[in-house]
Amino acid sequence: MMDINKHNTHILHRFEYHAPVTVTEAVKLLKELGSEATILAGGTDLIVKMKDGSERPRHIVNIKQIPGLRGVNETPEGLWIGALTKISELENSRVIKEKLPVLYEAVRVIGSVQVRNLASVGGNICNASPAADSAIAFLALDAVAHITGPDGDRKVPFGEFFTGPGRTVIKEGELLTGISVPRDVYGWKGYWVRVARASMDIATISLAATAKMDGGVVKEIRLAWGTVAPTPMRTDNVEDYLRGKKLEQNIIEKAASLAASSIKPRDSGRSTGPYKRKVAKGFIHEALTRFAEA
Amino acid sequence: MTRKSDYVTVGKDTQRKDGVAKVTGSEKFASDLSLPGMLHMRLLKSSFPHAKVLKVHTREAEKLGAYTLTPEEVPDIKYCPRLVSTPEATYKDWRILAKKPLYVGEPIAAVAADTEEEAQLAVEALKVDYEQLPAYFDAEESRKPGATQLHDAIELKGTIINPERNIACTLDLQEGDTDAAWKECDEVVERTYRTNRRYHLQLETKSVLVKPEIDGGISVWSTTQSIHNTRLLLHEIFGLPMGKIRVYKTPLGSSFGSSIQVNTIVPIAVAMALKTRKPVKLTMTREEDIRDHVSYNMIFKVKLGAKKDGTLVVGHLDAVLDLGSHQIQAYALLGCMAGWWVSLYRLKAKSYKSVAVYTNKTPSCAFRGYGNPQVSWMVETIMDELAEKIGIDPLDFRLKNYIGEGEIFWGQGPTVKSVIRSSGVEEILKRGAKIVDWYNRPRAGNQTGRYRKGLGMGRGFHTSSAGAPVPGTVVDFSGAIIKLNEDGTVDYITALMDHGGGTLEAHAKIIAEELCLPLDNVNVISADTSTTVYDVCTHASRGIYSGGGAALKVAKQVKEKLRTFAARMLDAEASALSFRVDNDRKQGVIYAEGIKGREVTFKEIAYNARHKNWGTIAAVDSYRQPACPPHFTGYFIEVTVDTWTGKVKLDSVVAGADIGTVINPKLAAGQVHGGLAQGWSMAVMEDMSYDAKTGDLINNGNLTDYKIPYPRDMPDLEDFEVFFVETVEPTGPFGAKGIGEGALNPVAGTVANAIQNALDIRFYELPLSKERILRAIMEKEGQ
Ligand SMILES: Cc1cc2nc3c(=O)[nH]c(=O)nc-3n(C[C@H](O)[C@H](O)[C@H](O)COP(=O)(O)OP(=O)(O)OC[C@H]3O[C@@H](n4cnc5c(N)ncnc54)[C@H](O)[C@@H]3O)c2cc1C
Repeated sequence: MMDINKHNTHILHRFEYHAPVTVTEAVKLLKELGSEATILAGGTDLIVKMKDGSERPRHIVNIKQIPGLRGVNETPEGLWIGALTKISELENSRVIKEKLPVLYEAVRVIGSVQVRNLASVGGNICNASPAADSAIAFLALDAVAHITGPDGDRKVPFGEFFTGPGRTVIKEGELLTGISVPRDVYGWKGYWVRVARASMDIATISLAATAKMDGGVVKEIRLAWGTVAPTPMRTDNVEDYLRGKKLEQNIIEKAASLAASSIKPRDSGRSTGPYKRKVAKGFIHEALTRFAEA
Repeated sequence: MTRKSDYVTVGKDTQRKDGVAKVTGSEKFASDLSLPGMLHMRLLKSSFPHAKVLKVHTREAEKLGAYTLTPEEVPDIKYCPRLVSTPEATYKDWRILAKKPLYVGEPIAAVAADTEEEAQLAVEALKVDYEQLPAYFDAEESRKPGATQLHDAIELKGTIINPERNIACTLDLQEGDTDAAWKECDEVVERTYRTNRRYHLQLETKSVLVKPEIDGGISVWSTTQSIHNTRLLLHEIFGLPMGKIRVYKTPLGSSFGSSIQVNTIVPIAVAMALKTRKPVKLTMTREEDIRDHVSYNMIFKVKLGAKKDGTLVVGHLDAVLDLGSHQIQAYALLGCMAGWWVSLYRLKAKSYKSVAVYTNKTPSCAFRGYGNPQVSWMVETIMDELAEKIGIDPLDFRLKNYIGEGEIFWGQGPTVKSVIRSSGVEEILKRGAKIVDWYNRPRAGNQTGRYRKGLGMGRGFHTSSAGAPVPGTVVDFSGAIIKLNEDGTVDYITALMDHGGGTLEAHAKIIAEELCLPLDNVNVISADTSTTVYDVCTHASRGIYSGGGAALKVAKQVKEKLRTFAARMLDAEASALSFRVDNDRKQGVIYAEGIKGREVTFKEIAYNARHKNWGTIAAVDSYRQPACPPHFTGYFIEVTVDTWTGKVKLDSVVAGADIGTVINPKLAAGQVHGGLAQGWSMAVMEDMSYDAKTGDLINNGNLTDYKIPYPRDMPDLEDFEVFFVETVEPTGPFGAKGIGEGALNPVAGTVANAIQNALDIRFYELPLSKERILRAIMEKEGQ
């Protein structure tokens, strides 16, 4: 049970602070410090948790002084986004707005202006909340996480990145350096929606949908959900069902019902499972109806 | 009486005197204050909703160098933190540090140390032996026979009473022959309504700074709506002579009623200061504050009957108040709820039964509207339903039955009745209806499709103050001091607190208008209990009506003295002299009309009075208002409901208000904007729910899970029209009434009516959350 005399005291515990200036140095430190170290980026998740006492790391490793981890760049393969890129920088990026509207829509509602100016995209992802707005969009864009650690670099597709609430594949000694989005998905249709209690809130439920359409027929489709399971999730079975189909009314209805039964929402202090299932239906309906339009 | 258009200062928008300090962040609120050598305090709060504290172990905390304060070390007396009612209506059931905590978060012990961090570590080093006791989170459960009694003995005017079955207090009323009246009705609607529990979410959390003085006295700076009641209570608890307790006015960062009572932390901090002989400061974290106070939760079983022709006849209300663990003003509220219930519409017979019940939840206190938003939500939705049943337009139904000028109204309940002398109800309704094209609104149930629009209306009122022709059980009078300075300006000294709404700004305008002074020449002086006369408290929308009334009364006395001195200087007949503002010279001027050269400025009068040893021109007096005139409001709200998500969007708002003479137009409109936001929040967002296993709030005190609207959730300003109708309240200063609470009261009912119009569904429980709405749509449409 949470102890009200110790929880949320607003007082930070004592910790040691480190600020490496290269990825190599950071990896070395993180490896040395092991489970006692926590990475600090914008701090909009971490500091809140430290103030409420749910996280009490002995060592804080601030990675913001490492150059090269911030920015949105076009590469031959697609788009590369540094882990330290601010949410507001994604929001203001022209390529993202034009080529990846689903990501643009997702990031522009995160928190407030102040939060978006502080928060990093890497933090949003590594915090691994099932509601993380950018994560849902990346999941629908077949994005890949770039991780560096003591054993060098590795790439993990977003579909495999989240392992549980607050948990990812990132191991001790590793950090996320960036995210890449393949050029293949440029120009796909996109639809993003979230329902929340207020305009600044954690999503009650959200959907990022992307599709490659061909004369009303679905060539490819991705449906990624927020807050319907312990991690951001895709409904592969619905995608499979829709692939190759013409988006007629009965197909849309069927897909909507299938989605509603495939997500795994639970009742919580914030909302209820039945509510989310019903809303999920509407989301799919809306997404597919829009995709069906020329 | 002067016509409104002739006023020089009243009714004009001016820059606020405290504006620069507020917008630059240099205003010092209680939590911004500090003193040299000050200790920081933290609280040890009960982890259980009901327990007996067997022992508080302080050794480890003391080893850390902290001071501690345990239940044994504080005066063993019962008190009521609110001193607005007379002793017959003041139930005392609080203890400074609880030996038997009754809610999660109730203070049990305190520590003080050099830094907040050390204090927190000391709190964590305290150990408490508890014996856990059964707890109740539902008023129906806690008053069942056989339920464990939460309070063994509470005090009422020196006698001990035993609140059996956890019934804190009751009030029943009856007027007219209800049995006969029910027989006259053609249509009757009977419903049960449940309100939500709302947290005030005032901008600043509660804070207190106490300095022990060398003479054994104390100086106190705290978040409060009443400095005098704070002093009275500290006198009552600690027995210090009143001359040795100085409570200073400290700017408030809003309050919404949460500091009508003396805050729980104040006597705790005083006890610590007296123990340590050092200045101490205690500021609640948001998470502590959220567990400290909440609005009253009500269950209404209501029955309302009317004739076919649309004449309301009779009503019965059975109200249960879930007051939480301690009384602040539950008894007074039972009376007010009756008043809120019967004062909007004429009922020739009515009956009322009410009971306030203890539960192991956060203690409830007044929250803007003092139960009126809850009651009006019920009244305005059942009025709509009854109108529908009779087949009369709900607006026409209201026009036919509203209580207006010349009629008796109960306002704050049976002890505070008075006659209405100004009413703009009809104009509000008719003008609003025209703006929104009321009679062409959608027909409920006609719409299909995903998005459905609805237009609803609702009325509201609130008493401006708790004044009355005869004294009841509520104390309500104010006082003021005004003195002329040697430069021709005046100092205005009042105990009345400004919550941030600009109340004192309005007082300054009233004084400037009466004395014919430029507004800048009225200095609003921040003072304390030793240098002001009594004012009960800034609550009950009384700031302008009562406090402004006192300022006007005293200004008139100063005016007469000015006139006498001027007459002496001008060798003129005093009664023949006139006053005017001279903006070029920045002076008030007294002159003999038509006679050249016979004029004198206030500055010249003060100069003369000093050099000729005539003395200072000053006056001090108290003022009791003869009534508590209702200010009236009416809202027309348009919403869109998304039937796929249950989300309701606020499209547009038209709000009309009759507040008598408008003293501060922009600030008055601001009250309406804030009232809408709070009412919308009440209607669709807020509720404090408790985990029956731990007794704590489900949100664990986190604002992340207690949402109120953000600016983006509000309509654009061009879609929000506020208008004031022109009335003059004969008993108010320059014809003014209040606005603060009336601005909020009708909103939830109006929103509910708009949603009904969109969906053809009525809701009887708040809030109208997206989950609740979607479930209702699914049920109605058979999904
Ligand atoms: C008021 C408010 C509103 C918010 N609203 C939203 C919202 O609408 N939607 C939403 O999705 N989120 C929201 N958030 C959450 C938060 O702002 C975001 O998740 C943000 O993107 C986190 O980024 P950060 O840089 O601040 O992360 P930090 O707090 O610095 O880090 C978060 C976590 O990620 C780890 N981490 C950070 N960077 C790396 C890296 N490069 N490699 C490995 N691990 C790393 C940290 O160790 C930590 O565990 C809100 C937060 C606040 C305070």
